[in-house]
Amino acid sequence: MSADRTAGGRADLGLEARDVCVEYDGQPALRSVSLTVAPGHVLALLGPSGAGKSTLLHAVAGFLTPSSGEIRVNGHLVASGSRAEPANRRDVAVVFQNYALWPHMSALDTVAYPARRRGVGRASARAEALDILERLGIAHLAHRRPSELSGGEQQRVGLARALARHAAVYLFDEPTAHLDAHLRGVFLEELVSRQRATGAAALYATHDAEEALGLADEVALLHAGRVVQLGTPQQVYDEPVDLWAARLTGPASVVTAPEGSGRLLVRPEWACLGGGVEGTFDGRLREVWFRGPHSDYLVSSAFGTLVVREPGPPAHRPGEHVSWSLRRSWRLTDDGSDGRDRAPSLT
Amino acid sequence: MRARTTSLPGAKRSRTRSPRFRAGGLGALTIGVVLVLAGCGGAEGEDEVGAAEPITLYTCSSDETVQPIIAEFEEANPGARVELFRAPTGELNARVASDIRSGGLRADVIWGCDPLTMQSFVDQDLVGGWVPDNASGIPDNFRTDDYVGAHVLYMVAIHHTDAPAPEAWRDLASGEYEVAIPDPAVAASALGTLGYFAQSPDLGMDLYEDLRSNGAVQVSTPDEVTIGVAQGVYDAGVTIATSAYQAKEDGSPIDVVWPEPGAVAVYGPVALANESSDSQTAKDFISFVVGEEGQTTVAESGSYPTMRDVGGPTVPDGAPVVFPDWAAIGQDQDTLLSEYQKLFGG
Amino acid sequence: MRGDAATTAVRRGALVAVATLTVVLVLFPLVRLAQTVGQETGGDLTPLLSSPGLGTAVRNTLVLAAAVTLLAVPGGTALALALRRSDVPWRSFWRVAVLLPMLVPDFVLAYSWTQAYGRAGFTETLAGIGWDGLLGPVGVTVVVTVNAVPLAFLVVAVGLATRAEPDLERAARASGAHPATVLRTVTLPLLRPALAAASVLVFVLTLATFAIPVVMGTPAGFSTVTTRIYANLSLGADPFSFVEAVALALLLVLLAGLVVVPADAVLGPRLRARRVAASDTGSLDTGGPGGGRWVAATLAGYLLVTLVLPLVALVAAAVTRAVGVPPVPSNWTLDNFEAVMTGRTFEAVTRSVVLAVAAASLLTVLGGCVAVLERRRSGRWLSSLITLTLVLPGSTLAVALLISYGRWLADTLALILLAYLAKLWAFAHRPISGALDRLPPDEMYAARSSGATLLTAVRTVALRPLAPALAGAWLICFLTALHEVTMSSLLYGPGSETLAVVVLNSQELGRIGPTAALSVVLSLLLVVPGVLFWLVMRRLRVPDRPPESRPVEVLDVG
Repeated sequence: MSADRTAGGRADLGLEARDVCVEYDGQPALRSVSLTVAPGHVLALLGPSGAGKSTLLHAVAGFLTPSSGEIRVNGHLVASGSRAEPANRRDVAVVFQNYALWPHMSALDTVAYPARRRGVGRASARAEALDILERLGIAHLAHRRPSELSGGEQQRVGLARALARHAAVYLFDEPTAHLDAHLRGVFLEELVSRQRATGAAALYATHDAEEALGLADEVALLHAGRVVQLGTPQQVYDEPVDLWAARLTGPASVVTAPEGSGRLLVRPEWACLGGGVEGTFDGRLREVWFRGPHSDYLVSSAFGTLVVREPGPPAHRPGEHVSWSLRRSWRLTDDGSDGRDRAPSLT
Repeated sequence: MRARTTSLPGAKRSRTRSPRFRAGGLGALTIGVVLVLAGCGGAEGEDEVGAAEPITLYTCSSDETVQPIIAEFEEANPGARVELFRAPTGELNARVASDIRSGGLRADVIWGCDPLTMQSFVDQDLVGGWVPDNASGIPDNFRTDDYVGAHVLYMVAIHHTDAPAPEAWRDLASGEYEVAIPDPAVAASALGTLGYFAQSPDLGMDLYEDLRSNGAVQVSTPDEVTIGVAQGVYDAGVTIATSAYQAKEDGSPIDVVWPEPGAVAVYGPVALANESSDSQTAKDFISFVVGEEGQTTVAESGSYPTMRDVGGPTVPDGAPVVFPDWAAIGQDQDTLLSEYQKLFGG
Repeated sequence: MRGDAATTAVRRGALVAVATLTVVLVLFPLVRLAQTVGQETGGDLTPLLSSPGLGTAVRNTLVLAAAVTLLAVPGGTALALALRRSDVPWRSFWRVAVLLPMLVPDFVLAYSWTQAYGRAGFTETLAGIGWDGLLGPVGVTVVVTVNAVPLAFLVVAVGLATRAEPDLERAARASGAHPATVLRTVTLPLLRPALAAASVLVFVLTLATFAIPVVMGTPAGFSTVTTRIYANLSLGADPFSFVEAVALALLLVLLAGLVVVPADAVLGPRLRARRVAASDTGSLDTGGPGGGRWVAATLAGYLLVTLVLPLVALVAAAVTRAVGVPPVPSNWTLDNFEAVMTGRTFEAVTRSVVLAVAAASLLTVLGGCVAVLERRRSGRWLSSLITLTLVLPGSTLAVALLISYGRWLADTLALILLAYLAKLWAFAHRPISGALDRLPPDEMYAARSSGATLLTAVRTVALRPLAPALAGAWLICFLTALHEVTMSSLLYGPGSETLAVVVLNSQELGRIGPTAALSVVLSLLLVVPGVLFWLVMRRLRVPDRPPESRPVEVLDVG
């Protein structure tokens, strides 16, 4: 564990979780989860609901105690065995999915709250808060109550409150789940720039693959409480450890390997219509979808059904015979399982 | 932007019970239940052939006394039925007062527990004006022209076996004892006792003042006095003889004293309601109660009868008894009570 | 649209039913009482108001109500907060157990406390420790508070569930606040409307408390308006006393109205949750080990002292041969129970149970109606109005009903039923109202847009989540009706004796033994429904689940 010096000059050590297990009512919710987030980095927790993303975040935040394992925040041991430091003493900040804004406080007081808890006087805390609100572009909402704010505005106030904490680790619990696409983009932009500027580490839970791949430095795939795969966005997208992971991280088609046995993962953009270097295969077009910048073709062939993506508007009609080839592919494990019980593979 | 609470046209948030609901169904249901229950209770008299109308008796005497009397009366007079409302004096009074204000007294016969209350009923023109022919069998002390006594309560003194026996009422206020007395606003017997003491030349309200200054406690009923003394909370108290003897028989560590100048006799009168002056059954009932049969039954049930020589609990030989002047007390009743309440609170 | 017509018809029907019953049960009797006072005093109230001791009684009542409120509301709040922790062992048991002091009839509570802690009581006989000050204002305050804490607990618990979602507190903790600071800056401010509602309810109910002051206050000369009313009614043969009793009762109604009406008007809209809470069970992960066990231990101790020991003393009195002999096994007997379990007792118990079932069922329906109707501004006065009969002492309400309807309904079970309905209506609608707040509107809309009529939607979608509240309301009404003594003893007639009559008759027989035996039987009668209730609640309650599998809903924003 070496200290990292960030651009800001702070000696932050990020987040480290080792073999964290959490049991809920006798049922395991997290099984031996280990991951590290370096300062200034974002690690996305990608997984379906029930996978354990929120549980892990709650364990790191201090809202629940792991039954075993260690968690270190900024080098400090905050949870080990069954001993745990209370949430308010950890160097973490949380952004909640449903905003969790206090209905009886204005936006300004909400954002000033962390500073007040540090002992800062009310006037200075408010001044600091106003500053943060300005940087997020919502200073004009300072005196509004949550009931007077839209979803996007509420979430930005939540982000402002987290920023006011000046924490070493940021925890995002599916913060864009209730925002529309446009707001989501705006929010993510701000979030990432703020977080990198402070040099803090961030753990970002989401079930949206695109979002995860887009903003993370590393992605951890979580399934039934276990980390199935941990790698860069490129790695988990191009080289998923099994079919389940493949399906989680993006659009996936599975075909039998044309030469030899086994199964291949084919992402839509890895195949093309027409002849190719490695071999051309026949297929019949079943469906065509126009997506805007590209079109998706559902092709059925002897090796299976796959989706082929080509730029531009649709050039063929359903029912036509087409030929297709593979630019690249990724071989899936032979046991044919969905990877549910696979041990985590570290790349 | 403000949040809006939307509602579909005509939609409600939620309701409770379900398919039984039609418009007004609830109202019908409630009324239905009420009507059914209105049929229950109340006079269930299916008229037998030749049966007289049932009469209603209001009383505050104990169940143990009243039930056998009713049973025997109905046996002796086939076809007659007595319907009973039995409640402590306070509730009885409230019931009568409510009756008056909602159509008139619904009782045919009232069997009270003290003459004062009965006298006030007479004064309100509710009862009285008739006594049965056999009323002469009851000593004069226990009757007037409007009502006849059917049972007697004797207010005696009791003391815990650890404490010395008081010989006279005066002794209770001597400071030797921690005394409990019953509340005259609750127990008519206590009211009668208050009246007697207040008007007695030797005792007067001074007795109560002395009691108070020596720390006497007022509890609700004579029975609570008995209990309190038996448990040792108090050393001595004023209570009803039947209650005292019963507790002693059960094994409680108390003794009963009939103090000088005498235990206070408070009799429970029976009277006919003015509105029911033409009810032969009611008259028969009253005659029965104060006649030999009725009085024997009273005695057998454990209460002191007013008629002499019919058995049952008797005054111990040589025990002094005093008979208050109820008419005089009745006139001063309000003054007495308010003076008393100044001492012991209300 | 056919759906609309049905909806309007249903709503109108409910409104008519509720309005009629309000007039019958509340307005008319009150008017008749006022009429009585007016007629019999000729409009001149001065002799009434200058009655000696009246001022003291009024002052005592007000001070008692204030003191109990100041003690019971924080107590109930502490209980609600403590029982929210997920690390309390046997949590669901405690949540029911804390309600017991409220469910035990208050005369049993008062009586058993005197048997347990009073002079010559259980503790003094066994250990030499007695509480001399038990009888008097302090004792009365303590026991009334013990009786009121569960009510405050219920109201605040609902407030916690709807307004203080766990995420709000987690956000505060993650922002650096200690648990105590979280309480101060986030939880309590959010709870303000619930705290106010609890205070109002406790205050009003203490104004009306009767059995406890009578058993524990009167022997020490401590009088309240209710004991004074009782004393006056006992002398009801004297018209002046009767009128004074009625006038005092109306005074209580006035006092209650002064408190309840403004409170409902101000709090009503604020109590309505604008956001639908996350539907988790309101358990809070506190992360601090061991705290939960302390909570359980404290609760156990509290219940031991306030409930278990007094009831044990009561049982001891019930099996002891005679008053004043020590409660040692050689003096034990079942004679008292024998004396009590007669044919008449069984008849009376059956009647009481039937009445209580009828009353509870009707009240649940009526309570539901009011809970729905009061959500519109036009219906808010309804709930204030029916709270007024809550404060009328039972004896006066009985008298009022007798005066109003005695002509037609005297001596019938119907009159007693009406009395129960009038007195307990307020108990029924508040829990249901609270539960309605937590019903997500989207689920109803989904049902409607899937083709269900209003009634079908209610039956299939709303009933299940409402079931605990309905069951709770039913149970409270059932138990209170079963234990009701004051009104039944005044209103009964031949053939309609209830358990109350039997209890009173036995009290009049004067021996502690039978009275205690009956009280024990009465209290046992609540164990069975209580256990059933607990089992039902366990099945209906949503189990604790990990954070992400709890559905979270957000306020609909534009």
